[in-house]
Amino acid sequence: MPAKKYAIPEGLLYDSNDFWIKVNGEEAVIGMTDFGQSNTGDILYLELSPGGETFQQGERFGSIESGKWVGNLTAPLSGVVLDTNREVEGNPRKVNADAYGEGWMFRIKLSNPEELRSLMASQEYAQWVDEQIKCEMEKG
Amino acid sequence: MDLYDLGALSWWESQCFYHAMAHLGREGLIVCYPSSPYVCLGLHDDLDQEIDREYCKEQGIPIFRRETGGGVVYLDNRQVFFQLILRRDNPQLPLRRHRYYEKFLQPAISVFRHFGIPAELKAPADIAAAGRKCSGNACGDVGAGVAYVGNILLDFDYAVMSNILRVPNQQFRENLRQAMQANMTTLHDWVKFSVSYADVAALLIEGFKIQWGDLELKVPDRELIDKAQEIHLKSSSEEWLTMPGRRYFDRKIKIAEGVMLMERKMGPDSVVILVRDGRVDEISIFGKPEVKDRLNYDMVGCEWSEELLNRNYA
Repeated sequence: MPAKKYAIPEGLLYDSNDFWIKVNGEEAVIGMTDFGQSNTGDILYLELSPGGETFQQGERFGSIESGKWVGNLTAPLSGVVLDTNREVEGNPRKVNADAYGEGWMFRIKLSNPEELRSLMASQEYAQWVDEQIKCEMEKG
Repeated sequence: MDLYDLGALSWWESQCFYHAMAHLGREGLIVCYPSSPYVCLGLHDDLDQEIDREYCKEQGIPIFRRETGGGVVYLDNRQVFFQLILRRDNPQLPLRRHRYYEKFLQPAISVFRHFGIPAELKAPADIAAAGRKCSGNACGDVGAGVAYVGNILLDFDYAVMSNILRVPNQQFRENLRQAMQANMTTLHDWVKFSVSYADVAALLIEGFKIQWGDLELKVPDRELIDKAQEIHLKSSSEEWLTMPGRRYFDRKIKIAEGVMLMERKMGPDSVVILVRDGRVDEISIFGKPEVKDRLNYDMVGCEWSEELLNRNYA
């Protein structure tokens, strides 16, 4: 399985925009997966929504820039930002170096815990990553 | 694939049409040039750090912030723009967006080669000839689409570009102008006859036809024009232009892929360093008399680090 190349820890949830979500009661910590950071490449800049900001699942909650590409960060869940990792904003390469540790991005309070059902468990995400890699290989 | 061969556009239309296409989820290729000059910031550039707004105001040079990556560029009617907009679910788009530059830039490389210029990709997103940048490019996920945008330099005004950028002092500005001239090149440097927009546009379009098959010629419709105007309105707001961006403790300006000019304050002196592919390429120091004795020039050719400078400055 090509996904074995990437760290996909158990006990976390995942979405198809390559975010991991660690749920703790009504709160969740969010960051980018190893597969996501690998596809993005060296991250040069991160702009993260500040504490107190509210967003819905699928809305933009930050943006990211790597070598000559910029993209939006799309919220995997609805909620309110409790805390933003300022260290990772100052040194975005921490996402590349330690995606599940020092590279965390947000701590949020969930506003709709039902949405957790839309996320993938680690095994399901690993299968999804496999499919993505297969598609990529078919493109050549 | 739709083709918009639009020729001369107003400065803002030369940016807003491709943004509008991306936000509307349309695919197409736009080839155009701006009829008047302007400055264009990357999405995450910090306006006040990067641009001398007073100079731009005095010269009547408008400022635009695009939704794609990369740094500040000065754009005028001596550049030909090519802008490819794809939907995010286009199967040709790789997960690693920067990998698509190789394909996207092939038509532009062919244009240079048509004129006998030894152009090649300098990864991830420059085209260089004889080691000098001749085309700057950027991309970004914009709305429902992904926009890849590039330009071919027919000619370039290095003096105006060096005046537009905010710099710590006049010596740095002069170093910047010289570094750009040494590390950039244009069609005009290589071709002794006049090359027009039409010549370049026709060659570019031929190149994209090889990749995408027949292109269907279109003109902007009402929906596209309205969306472009809406984007122009938003992008003209002070809030959008002054949006916080990346800040650097010391001034540094990327000139081309792997080439960076930076200033370091060392006590009362200003040290200007040109770094190429991670190594010190040139270094100069400005300050009071005998200042040159305070710098050990043997560091030229060494791998750049702050520590290297500290060790070689007395």
